[in-house]
Amino acid sequence: MIDPKKLAKIEKNLGGLKFAVILLTFFALFMIVGTFLESYYGTDFANRTIYKTWPFMLLQFGMFISITFAAFVRLPPKKRLYGFYTIHMGLIIIGCGSFMTYYAGVDGSLLLPPSSPSREVILSDDILKMRFADDGRVVTFKLPYTGFETTVEKEYQDISLARFYPFAEKEFLWKTSKSSIAASEAIHSSSYSISNPMVSQDFTLSLHPESIDFESNVNLGPLTIHYLPSSLGVCFGENNASKLILWDREAATCYTPESKSIEVRTTDSQRRVLSIKKEGKLFTFLPDMSPWPMDKELKVIRGAGLRIFSKALFEEKPNLFLFGESTAYFDKDSQQWTYEKFSRPEALDLPWMGFEIVLTEHQKQKVPTYEPRSVLPIQKNNEIIRGGMKALELIVQGQSYWVTNDRPIQLLIDAKKVIFSLEKESITLPFEFVLTRFKMQKDPGTQRPASYESFVRLFDGQENKEHHVFMNNPLKFQGFTFYQASYSQDREGNYSSTLSVNVDPGRPFKYAGSLMLVLGSMWHYALNFRKRKKVKITPLIATDDDNHDDQKGEG
Amino acid sequence: MQRIFNIKKHSLNIIFIALMCLSPFNSAHADTYKDQTYFCQDSLNSTPIRQGGRVKPLYVHARELIKFISGKRTYQGLSPVQVYCLLSLEGMQLENQIKLTARVDNIEAQKFLELKEGQKTIFLTELVNHMQKLRREVNANKVQDSRVKALSTLLNQAALYKQITSGENWLFPAVTNDRVDWIPLTAFLQEGKIEAAKEKSKSPFLYVIKSEVERYNTLKGEKHLLEYKFVKANLPVISMILTLLALAALTLFRKFNIALIFAFSTVLVQLVLIIIRILISGRAPITNMYETVMFSGFGALCLSLIVGHFKKEKTFVYMGLMYNACTLMMMNFATGMLSESISPLVPVLRDNFWLSTHVTTIIMSYGALALSWILANTVLIKRRFSSFSLTKADEVYYSDLIYTTLKYGTVMLGGGIILGGVWADYSWGRFWGWDPKETWSLIAFIIYTAILHGRYTSWIPNSRFIALVAGAFMSIMMAWFGVNYILASGLHSYGFSEGGALFLGGFFLAQITLILITTLGVKQTQNA
Repeated sequence: MIDPKKLAKIEKNLGGLKFAVILLTFFALFMIVGTFLESYYGTDFANRTIYKTWPFMLLQFGMFISITFAAFVRLPPKKRLYGFYTIHMGLIIIGCGSFMTYYAGVDGSLLLPPSSPSREVILSDDILKMRFADDGRVVTFKLPYTGFETTVEKEYQDISLARFYPFAEKEFLWKTSKSSIAASEAIHSSSYSISNPMVSQDFTLSLHPESIDFESNVNLGPLTIHYLPSSLGVCFGENNASKLILWDREAATCYTPESKSIEVRTTDSQRRVLSIKKEGKLFTFLPDMSPWPMDKELKVIRGAGLRIFSKALFEEKPNLFLFGESTAYFDKDSQQWTYEKFSRPEALDLPWMGFEIVLTEHQKQKVPTYEPRSVLPIQKNNEIIRGGMKALELIVQGQSYWVTNDRPIQLLIDAKKVIFSLEKESITLPFEFVLTRFKMQKDPGTQRPASYESFVRLFDGQENKEHHVFMNNPLKFQGFTFYQASYSQDREGNYSSTLSVNVDPGRPFKYAGSLMLVLGSMWHYALNFRKRKKVKITPLIATDDDNHDDQKGEG
Repeated sequence: MQRIFNIKKHSLNIIFIALMCLSPFNSAHADTYKDQTYFCQDSLNSTPIRQGGRVKPLYVHARELIKFISGKRTYQGLSPVQVYCLLSLEGMQLENQIKLTARVDNIEAQKFLELKEGQKTIFLTELVNHMQKLRREVNANKVQDSRVKALSTLLNQAALYKQITSGENWLFPAVTNDRVDWIPLTAFLQEGKIEAAKEKSKSPFLYVIKSEVERYNTLKGEKHLLEYKFVKANLPVISMILTLLALAALTLFRKFNIALIFAFSTVLVQLVLIIIRILISGRAPITNMYETVMFSGFGALCLSLIVGHFKKEKTFVYMGLMYNACTLMMMNFATGMLSESISPLVPVLRDNFWLSTHVTTIIMSYGALALSWILANTVLIKRRFSSFSLTKADEVYYSDLIYTTLKYGTVMLGGGIILGGVWADYSWGRFWGWDPKETWSLIAFIIYTAILHGRYTSWIPNSRFIALVAGAFMSIMMAWFGVNYILASGLHSYGFSEGGALFLGGFFLAQITLILITTLGVKQTQNA
């Protein structure tokens, strides 16, 4: 049993002003820090480090207790305090409403791409999804709601979750390859910088099988760049009549039909044909149709280490071939193929629009990789300009892999395909939306939007209904409320619309509480209004008409 | 491109006509007219122009633009419209001798533009040549420090200057039947029109422009004329003078009734000012810093007159006048920080009902709390520095007055925050989002609530109460200006180099110093 006297004392302290002021001070301090964090690091970061953390929630709960007890210890009711009770009751009701919103509310967004149905509402929590391709299992893990690098200690079979970066950026690294690859294999990678006086672009190309971030070809405007094994380069420089190059992958050599006196014949249908004998087998090529060799029945032989290239296919449009430390291209002016070796750091001139190219890095074995790095985000004009990526490290069979929110990864675990993706938690609506039209008005003579409006068709299983959602005109349906939030435009100029989706069971409580708060404070001051007796005071602003008091204030 | 080409094509003839009109002596060489103003006269002031999303008088547009690109409103005796007009005519190859400069105050920016040491200005014609370099530098730097901000301003100035001098900025209403097309003036002034007008008038250019403007006015109304008259009337200056006169009558000459007359005239002039702004913009006059400052001063003066009347206490009138004088001074002198220009609102604010209820309540609460701030500081200063010695009874009396304004202010602030929540719920589906503006008004509300509670339960003694109220207004200033001038700029902005942040920093420093000076080692209040 607790001593009733002690209990009364605790009640008095909880309802006391000192407790309230301490709580309010901390509450204000948290908020001040929060606003500065928000302005530097963005809304999401401030939410993750201040507003939606348990200390801050605890403070709010403490204020709830303080407000409740402050009213409780002043019972039984006195007329003078009626306003005061109303104010505190209002605050308590607002608190209850907020808790209901927090506990059972939904606050998400719905992306409506043009003319395609949508019912997925995106929420704010980060999750990891594992999809097992063989049996269709989907396993999800909720990731911690934090602003800083955290270690997630969770496991599923032999997959374990390790470091989680809520704010990360890509960092370029040359990594040693995880598996051993035969030395004869062409697995080299290179970084180049191509520029003319107007623009400049850096890019990295790789032949390494473990390279996921970098591929073996890239398009820069009209220019197509191909990255090929270094042993192929020499043959591109030979201006042989057939313009064909044969590549023996196993021996890592190339040759031309002319150099080996291989006859190139022409079929009745005007197609070129040539045959090669290698280790007793006959390989037939139709070089204008396919790089792969064929057998007698004209079936493609996949595993053969032989391939053919027809340079003639790459003469019309600008094509640049890079072989690591050398390059080849077709010069239209001289109608010749040119083959050149890079001598670092010198640039090689290219025949298009004054472009020149520099080899900045060449690696024979290492894998070019983007690895996430945990950073503090930076916001500018309400946009995150750094740290907008999320990354999670997975340890699978002793190897580390990074999955980021902008790209899922696919791994083979015990010969079974598993897809990992970092997503936002979502819920599926019991009805479906289609954006039929999006209207945007601009301020006359400017590009600034004046209003944007979504025309949507809502299908609830029985019938289609047309609705019109715009700023300050939300749509209410089955407990959900949909608001026009933002929009985006794709390259073809089609608009997508984003609606924010909201379910708020605490809404009536918050409205009622707010009303009580405002009316209560007026009532309080009305009840406590008393005419002060005139006392002789020193006037702050002395005027000449001080002695005939009655006239003042009249207009 | 096609249009620019066309302008160039007919411009040779236009130049010839323009020069012919200038002088009766056709034989004179063109160079002699270089410092002429062609048809650029102040009578063009009221011509409508569409820029920045609305139609306004040329005078307003030219003044804003010339101020923005050169930092000054006039150039060697030429009015802003004349400067703007002459620069625009460069788009028709009509030369002038105007050499506008842009200010380069940032030292890093001076280095970037390779200015000589101590050189703080650059000719805009020269700055235009640096545009590509500037654009590359601004785009390359994601993080905005003061250097990048300065460069970005210079880039905008150069781009605008280029747009003006190419004749593309001066959009003129070309009326065909009942349709108005806004086309560059240089494209509008075609040779045929001018030739035809030569028959009718000695100044054919002005004739063509004015007759077109007349046609526009009959078609679309004369709202821009109202705005021109409004700007010319300079009501903020008039109200400032009236308020200062009222204040002087009250404090220096001790004539309360005269002070009241001036106070009511101020209210009247400000009312006209507010109503005309509403007519021009078509919305509640509380959408930018300038308007909120104006409205809070006006609201506080009205409130103080009403409360003062019912409480029969002239100190309220003093508070209202003093605060209104502060806001009017800011409006008239801090033009770099508070822009008086009227521009369209972002879509989400376009709801006159919520805008006028929520924002008005908040701004009125700022006004009421500012009254308490004025009185608290006055009492603090008087107590410390003048022969005026406060008795215990005085202290009680004046803290009661402060308490009265505090009550009104805090209730209105709470109500305003709630109204904001309801608006946010109505248009975004959430009451509260921890947005910095919301959060800071809640911080201010909490501070004032704590003070009210402390005073109500006699936890805070009167002498400390006055100092606390004086200091608490800093939280309002933070919510009002700080969120826009300090927080909005983001990381590494070194915001203190800018007008707004400098003002706010200065305010905080002055307020803290004042509280320290007036409370530390203060003489004990005597008993009555």
